[in-house]
Amino acid sequence: MSAAKHSQAMHFHARAGENVRNPVLQRALQKAKPLFVGKRAKGIAALADDGLEFEMLRTACEGIRNRTLADLDVWLDIFEERAITSGAEVLWARDGEEVGRLVVDIARRYGVTKATKSKSMLSEEAHLNEVLAKAGVRPVETDLGEYIVQLAGETPSHIIAPAVHKTIEEIEALFAKEHGRPVETRTSADIPDMTREAREVLRQHFLSAEMGISGANFLIAETGTAALVTNEGNGRMVTTLPKVHVVVTGIEKIVPTLEDFATLMRLLPRSATGQTISNYVSLLTGTKQPGDQDGPEKTVFILVDNGRANLLGSPYQDMLRCIRCGACMNHCPVYFSLGGHAYGWVYPGPMGSVLTPLYTGIENALDLPHASTGCNQCGSVCPVRIPLPKLMHQLREEQVERHLRPWSERLALKAWAWVAGQPVLYRWLTRRAVRYLNWLADDAGRIRIFGLAPGWTAGRDLPVASGRTFHELYKARK
Amino acid sequence: MTAKRDILGRVRGGVGKGDFAGRRAAAEAVLNARLRGPQPTISDGLIERFRVKAESLASTVDAVSDRKDAPAAVAAYLSANGLPMRVVVAQEIESLDWSGCAIVSAARGAVDSDQVGVTACFCAVAETGTLMLLSGPDSPATVSLLPETHIALVDTSRIVATMEDAFALLRAEREAVPRAINFISGPSRTGDIEQTIVLGAHGPCRVHLILIGISS
Ligand code: SF4
Repeated sequence: MSAAKHSQAMHFHARAGENVRNPVLQRALQKAKPLFVGKRAKGIAALADDGLEFEMLRTACEGIRNRTLADLDVWLDIFEERAITSGAEVLWARDGEEVGRLVVDIARRYGVTKATKSKSMLSEEAHLNEVLAKAGVRPVETDLGEYIVQLAGETPSHIIAPAVHKTIEEIEALFAKEHGRPVETRTSADIPDMTREAREVLRQHFLSAEMGISGANFLIAETGTAALVTNEGNGRMVTTLPKVHVVVTGIEKIVPTLEDFATLMRLLPRSATGQTISNYVSLLTGTKQPGDQDGPEKTVFILVDNGRANLLGSPYQDMLRCIRCGACMNHCPVYFSLGGHAYGWVYPGPMGSVLTPLYTGIENALDLPHASTGCNQCGSVCPVRIPLPKLMHQLREEQVERHLRPWSERLALKAWAWVAGQPVLYRWLTRRAVRYLNWLADDAGRIRIFGLAPGWTAGRDLPVASGRTFHELYKARK
Repeated sequence: MTAKRDILGRVRGGVGKGDFAGRRAAAEAVLNARLRGPQPTISDGLIERFRVKAESLASTVDAVSDRKDAPAAVAAYLSANGLPMRVVVAQEIESLDWSGCAIVSAARGAVDSDQVGVTACFCAVAETGTLMLLSGPDSPATVSLLPETHIALVDTSRIVATMEDAFALLRAEREAVPRAINFISGPSRTGDIEQTIVLGAHGPCRVHLILIGISS
């Protein structure tokens, strides 16, 4: 699969180590985590003021997504038919490469030299910026976070806060360079000025681009509509001002009705940022109408598979319910220790640990399903109740079944299974083992370096147990 | 065409059911049923709820008793905030007496240099303090988007409880959905630099609402 080519997910271990030791990254992450968690908690708690509660809404949202997926062929059919009736064109792309070809084609047809983009994770799957640049079209990211990341020549490290890994000093250096001015000393009091500066530069891009590219938070089948949820207003700009609007989105994003959309909107912003509603919720249908003074003359939907259809009817179908709110990563201790880039592909955090192996090949992302403490914070905050830890577990089992684990681990597991079947030998060996562990520990009762598997103690200490086996303790109590 | 065939083939395989026509008819029935999910119970009056929520989203709110008083309220806001008395207005409110309040108004889509845009709205949602604007020849989307200040006239008789109610009103009054339905909840904002919220990202920096139909 083409996605595997660009995935860095096999370097998870190496990157994880680097990132844990990167003080700038750690500072940025430690600042963000309590904010994300606190805001969501407040947003969810406020549901009670209106006599609503999280679990009841979650059941409704889960149900909407499940019902859509259960008849996805039908809903896609209805969506396509109604989108075309309203004046849009609907194209289909099997993978990221096909997305690139289709967008470049449209750009050529309409003489496009610049495309403004509102956040679309799927365009990251397709490496659309690279492809456009090669074809002579300048892609300009317009979500402030995406803009920062693009200036840095990086990819987003979070699906809703793309530049969460960047400190103000780093951003100032990027702005000074791109906007052609000297670097200044910046504190948080300067953030409004910096935002203003980006607003002015990007405004000129909005006005001059011939093409706008957006994702879609949802596709509404009833009306053939793309729903776009943003706070900055860049989503409105790129879908209103350029003469061509291209929506690049996954085939799983469909919801049947406007009512279903309204239900999902009670949890999406709350789960993402704690907001009761995002500043702009735009429902875009068809093209500029007779008499309209603004709006695109041409609207094209590109509906992308890139591995999604294969999950239907598989043990991983639950994952297709995902509405990309980011709550799972915002509550993940692993994510906040490592940052999003460690995950090596488009999607970080728990949802990425499931999606990356599924979309790029299980054999290309062996570490990700293990990047979990098993705390199930992600599973408990997910607004569409995706059992993320269970899916990671399934992926691990599949690694074992497909003999994808390293030979040392496989051998060790075989040896363990054999020993565990010999009670006398087992007791004798475990007695030796606990005494050995006890001997390894320092005065504080912690093992600093564990010689048999040094990786375990590379970033943490192992607290030592009592030095007696369970059997011994049990006997002593009797 | 082959991409579509491949993808839909895989989707059909994954869905694993036959009888496409029967399922399609069932889906159409779902579309017509318009079933709602859990609805909020809104305890305050709708107008009060709308006002409180809108203010919590950093909009400012004023009120007048009659539509014809709106230009005076706009003029008062402009002068209080040191803004020019020159505005772009959506055609649907063009006929109000702007010049009588010393406001120079242009009824058209907005351009980059317009500093103030004045619009009406299709309706407003009390649950979240949100405006619902429909694009159309008399209500270009740019007027609520490009100027730094957006002033909206909100008819209090058109404040509904929820987004679902707003959709019901849309279905009742319009044949088809417009090109753009914009739900607007306060000034644009971003938190992308160190998670610090700043008002005025790409859209308006200030949103001022004038409620119509409140006698003082
Ligand atoms: S998996 Fe759930 S919590 Fe994570 S982004 Fe998707 S919907 Fe949100």
